[in-house]
Amino acid sequence: MRTGVKMGLLLLASLLALLLGIGVGSVYVPPGDILAIAAGRMFDVPLPEHIPASYSVMVLDMRLPRVLLAFLTGAALSVCGGVMQSLLQNPLASPFGLGVSSGAGLGAAFVIVLGLASAGLGAFLLPAVSLMFALGTVFLVLLVVAKLDRSMSNVTVILVGMVISLFCNAVMSLLATISPVCAQRIQLWQLGSFSMREWSAVWALLPVTVLVCLYFVRYAAELDVMTFGEEQALAMGVDLRRVKGRLMTAVAVLTGTAVAFVGIIGFVDLIVPHIVRRFFGAAHRRTVPACALLGGTFLVLCDLAARTLTPPHEIPIGSITALLGAPFFLYLFFAGRKGR
Amino acid sequence: MLTVEHLSCGYGKTQVIHDLSFQVKVGERLCILGPNGCGKTTLLRALAGVLPWQGRVEADGVSLQELSPKQRAKKIALMSQFSQTAFDYTVYEAVMLGRYAHRNGSLFPAETAADRDAVEDALRRTGVWELREQSVTRLSGGQLQRVFLARAFAQEPQIILLDEPANHLDPRYQAELLENLREWTADKKKCVAGVFHDISLALAFADTALLLEGGRALACSLVETLDMKLLDRLYGMDVRSYMKQIYGRWE
Repeated sequence: MRTGVKMGLLLLASLLALLLGIGVGSVYVPPGDILAIAAGRMFDVPLPEHIPASYSVMVLDMRLPRVLLAFLTGAALSVCGGVMQSLLQNPLASPFGLGVSSGAGLGAAFVIVLGLASAGLGAFLLPAVSLMFALGTVFLVLLVVAKLDRSMSNVTVILVGMVISLFCNAVMSLLATISPVCAQRIQLWQLGSFSMREWSAVWALLPVTVLVCLYFVRYAAELDVMTFGEEQALAMGVDLRRVKGRLMTAVAVLTGTAVAFVGIIGFVDLIVPHIVRRFFGAAHRRTVPACALLGGTFLVLCDLAARTLTPPHEIPIGSITALLGAPFFLYLFFAGRKGR
Repeated sequence: MLTVEHLSCGYGKTQVIHDLSFQVKVGERLCILGPNGCGKTTLLRALAGVLPWQGRVEADGVSLQELSPKQRAKKIALMSQFSQTAFDYTVYEAVMLGRYAHRNGSLFPAETAADRDAVEDALRRTGVWELREQSVTRLSGGQLQRVFLARAFAQEPQIILLDEPANHLDPRYQAELLENLREWTADKKKCVAGVFHDISLALAFADTALLLEGGRALACSLVETLDMKLLDRLYGMDVRSYMKQIYGRWE
């Protein structure tokens, strides 16, 4: 199949997932009605008679931002996963390996333990602080790596990332022990959730996701060359240290922003790039957009499962991705490499 | 043409190459010989821009220190020993990556006709044109080695540096690969410098030999006029009688 056709199908699947995500819930809203409601708000036309007026708020102010947030998060995590795997030449690498998630977690834990999360400012303070902590942690990791090893080799990055992540996790556990009341909230945050349904989160994540994805497409050729090893990349004219530093920073910014709003959602960053590379090959000018679309679709569907399988309770989204992801990943391993 | 003057380099505080000078002329094939750990690979890595170094290196009349990484890659390509990938690129895509140095830095750099011609020439020259749609993860070691040679050709450098190019290859592929390189050097007026462990293969392929001992040049001369006693000193054994012993049965 041609790449264009595959990309078109993927786009179609994304739109269907979005409509499904918006339509399914406590009450079902068919796709036609969703479009009518959206058109009604955008062009200020009256709704058809069979649609209750309250649906407009439910669809546009509750379900739509949630679904879009899930889509953007899935896109962000998948694209960053794919890029990180190429940067470290390891199909199992994850942006979380840079310390993004543990840094963000530590920041969130501080806000929760200090009791700032429930204050009026809390809705924005928690993501802001955890983003700062996430970036700070990655910066620390890169700083230590650069001090230890001028060439910033992959093994050093992986090891330093691990050491600093473990340290952050330890501090987080310490905070949870000191304040058992907060422990549960910290734990819930760690499993991720889209339940904040805020348009503000969408508006914060949307520009970062789009810009960073474009940035990765700009560096598609460098990323391609780097998957063949750092020695080759240097010999082929890639300004490795600079490119690697920039791309890792971009990964940290995007993952950090996503994690700051929704918590830690694992496995998306591993599975989606893996599937994408199978269908689209490994060239980044194709994998970056494909990861964004498939990752978004995947997380919208996971969120749909999270909020509809066990009503009225919501399953943490991180549990769903892990429940689906871990067996699927093992399957991929055992099935081995097959044709595209 | 490659001119190396007073080159020193190493890893951190350990200096491996000491004040090394030699020259490879246009159309020439240089083999670098020496025992394990004498700095052969380190020398190639320095020249290819992988390691920092001191001294003066001129490629094609231009000092390497004045060139950006991309400009340097247009002069010198490296075919290293351990290049491989876990990612599913087609052979064509992998060879096209050799054109990286020729791309401009625009947001969506397009493949030019020159890129496509260089890639096709490289693929045909190395006999992997038929494999161009295959994934590099499913090639044999020998095929992969030829793909990496094709990528070095596609880079259109003046000089190709080879690290053990014949490793892992059966005799037919060895012969083909070296013949490819010989043709490329002669057709395009380029030069090649390669590290070899197999002395007889090296001396059959190259027209000049650089003998490295402890990171210093023991000798650099035409293969025809090379003092074979130096090889004995270099490897600490009677190289000629060893060669006679192992190759004797073929006579």
